Amino acid sequence: MFQVIKKIIQYPRVTQNYPAKPFDTSLISGKPVIGPEKCTACGACIARCPSGAIVENPETHKAEIHYDACIFCVLCSEVCPHGAVEITDEFELAVKLRKQLHANGSLEEQAIPPCDDVTFEESGMPRCDTTNDENHGMASCGEPTYEELGKQLKEKIEKRFGRSLQIREVDSGSCNGCDYEINALNNPFNDIERFGIHFVASPRHADMLLVTGTAARNMELALLKTYEATPSPKLVGAVGACACSGGIFRDSYAVKNGIDSVVPVDVYIPGCPPRPQAILYGILKAIDRL
Amino acid sequence: MNKQEINSITALKKELLARHPELSKSEIHGNTLCLDTDSDSYQALCKNLNHKFAFPLVSMFASDNRASTGCFTIHTVFAHRQAGILISIALPVDPSYGAFPSLCDLIPAAALYEREIHDLFGLHPMGHPNPKRLVFHGNWPKNHYPLRSDYPAEKRPDFADERIEFTRIDGEGVYEIPVGPVHAGIIEPGHFRFSLAGEPILNLEAQLYFVHKGIEKLSEGKTIEHGFYLSERISGDETFTNSLTYCQAVEKIAGIKVPVRASFTRVLFAELERVTSHLGDLAGICQDVAYGFASYQFKMLRGWSYRIADELCGMRFLRSVNIPGGVRKDFVHGKEEILARLLSELQKELAETEAIVMRNSLFIDRIENTGILKNKIAVDLNATGPGGRASGVDFDVRTAFPYEVYTQLEFETPVQSDGDVSSRMKVKLAECFQSISLMLQVLERIPQGTVREEIGMLEPYRSAYGLTEAPRGENIHYVMVGENNTILRYKVRTPSFCSWPALCHAVSGNIVPDFPLINKSFNLSYAGNDL
Repeated sequence: MFQVIKKIIQYPRVTQNYPAKPFDTSLISGKPVIGPEKCTACGACIARCPSGAIVENPETHKAEIHYDACIFCVLCSEVCPHGAVEITDEFELAVKLRKQLHANGSLEEQAIPPCDDVTFEESGMPRCDTTNDENHGMASCGEPTYEELGKQLKEKIEKRFGRSLQIREVDSGSCNGCDYEINALNNPFNDIERFGIHFVASPRHADMLLVTGTAARNMELALLKTYEATPSPKLVGAVGACACSGGIFRDSYAVKNGIDSVVPVDVYIPGCPPRPQAILYGILKAIDRL
Repeated sequence: MNKQEINSITALKKELLARHPELSKSEIHGNTLCLDTDSDSYQALCKNLNHKFAFPLVSMFASDNRASTGCFTIHTVFAHRQAGILISIALPVDPSYGAFPSLCDLIPAAALYEREIHDLFGLHPMGHPNPKRLVFHGNWPKNHYPLRSDYPAEKRPDFADERIEFTRIDGEGVYEIPVGPVHAGIIEPGHFRFSLAGEPILNLEAQLYFVHKGIEKLSEGKTIEHGFYLSERISGDETFTNSLTYCQAVEKIAGIKVPVRASFTRVLFAELERVTSHLGDLAGICQDVAYGFASYQFKMLRGWSYRIADELCGMRFLRSVNIPGGVRKDFVHGKEEILARLLSELQKELAETEAIVMRNSLFIDRIENTGILKNKIAVDLNATGPGGRASGVDFDVRTAFPYEVYTQLEFETPVQSDGDVSSRMKVKLAECFQSISLMLQVLERIPQGTVREEIGMLEPYRSAYGLTEAPRGENIHYVMVGENNTILRYKVRTPSFCSWPALCHAVSGNIVPDFPLINKSFNLSYAGNDL
């Protein structure tokens, strides 16, 4: 007992005060950025990107990174003959619309296309029934409509979730990297409970689902059932490149790419895997507490 | 001649040819003896290797060689661990016949491999006592075999409604508890079907493959470079060891030796990964018995090991460190001092924590005699790593099949004999100290030099096995290359694949509330099993 008390005194509080205080990012390998002024549109990085995250801009023909598919492997910075790719220490990449993760992030200002397939659940939450997998869910009619109608409920959600949030984690086909990072939110360094955010054992107790991994075929039914078991209003977070877009496992016989092909997503947290702080940032962003 | 006398690969070849004159081809590639057999003598040969010589079955998989030889091939791999030799047996299977003799009656460990081959290739194991589906669940239609070369990688068949029965235990008062695939904790998905009478568990059947992503198919036809990134994403917390196993196989095919500095660096990363993984398991064991102090202490130490990873490469999961031919850059240069300081701090704190935790009688009472894995079962099912070593399986790939620079470093392989949660915990704690000591030795002895060698153009249709000691045990990857540095077949067998059935045996007779504890003491990877 004496030894235990000694340890408690030795390490009184190791929790980092993120996001109130920024943490030291000097060591970390974060978001890769292609400098358009240095890029000569040679296509070297596009050809070799393992997850097909780098695409050619149709107008300038220069390379651009889609961060929903990027696996942060830094290969592009190695193969670029002109040194146009810079690896930054930026990790707070979570966004509410998947399009914002595409190179041209200003897309959200475009007019929202009409969607005829929106139904309302009993609670009044909108739900889009046509989830489009053909183009990796990018033009899924669910997203913008969900966002538009979701705005009407924003106040309601904030009121309900703003103070305390219960989260259920679902692995729908990850490599377990993201799961370990979500687990790390409970460690003494991150201690997510200081925000009133708890991980709960059942989706019936949850306000939010954090989904990791690509939408694996064998998990599809379980993911849908978990989503349906979660009472509305509810939030869904896609954690990691696989959940956002399918990542490196895209277009396999056994997966359906991003989880937005199965359930509507409210916040996309890219990374491979995203750091615990990046996940925390995404969760707080989803409930507008930043 | 008994097995102790056969300590060289040529002697083994001679002995096997004397016993089996019908073997049509036998070649030696490095430490691998490749034999070609036919379906008539296949079982007798495997029986001899396993029963007579006591070589364990370490991997078994199929490949679709219809384009080149007109046949499928079943590769059955045994290991002569005392001499560091792999014996790879190739059995051709005629596509029009589509079946091969099952080894289940002779070698129990073959059961899962054969079911996997059936699901992925549609080749039937004749005489298999329970040939039900393994990889695919009820949603997968019949007669779709995705690993056949003519099956498009992106083809997603319609959902079917096939029924898969679980093993039923009958008797008065016997009932079932279904658990999963979505669990209460933050872990990966799997379905557990417990059959119980009263409190004790009679039988546990684990249905896995919920996170099956088709990694083997995705790698086919891709470049060696692409395959490397897939190998890093087989199992998150074993990123480095999986990529190392893949690199090792590719380097064997290329016939190159990585620079010594790269070898030392690889040992450093591999051991760091082991410590990080074990510290997480130790925290989990303590958490599952509600020993909060110890759990937080181990979690804090795991955080410290992530700090070391950040210091080394800026990636918590040690991704993009390896590369076929060495390591990406000189990660160690100029950091020796700070790393040695961080490691010494970790070592000191871990020792102090161990002293507190392992003296807590309440805790010891909970973990002793819980979840006993018998030595016989561990040996039969080829359970390796800490799970096997806690049950007296004295085997470590680092000493039996030495790779990188492990022969130049001093370390011990801790072995326990009780096979319970306590033994596994002791093994993992001891391994943490060994790994920290190995890392400190690396920092002292690492020589200057380059860290990367080009693999160049690989000779097509060559294949090799990579073999490493992952945090969870013996890890074997098979790589066969095609033309223009592409992958023809990539077979991954992680230690979790062998250890899952062992875990199911270890819980028998225990109560359901102890299952999470037993599960955590093995901490097997679902992703590494499901691929």
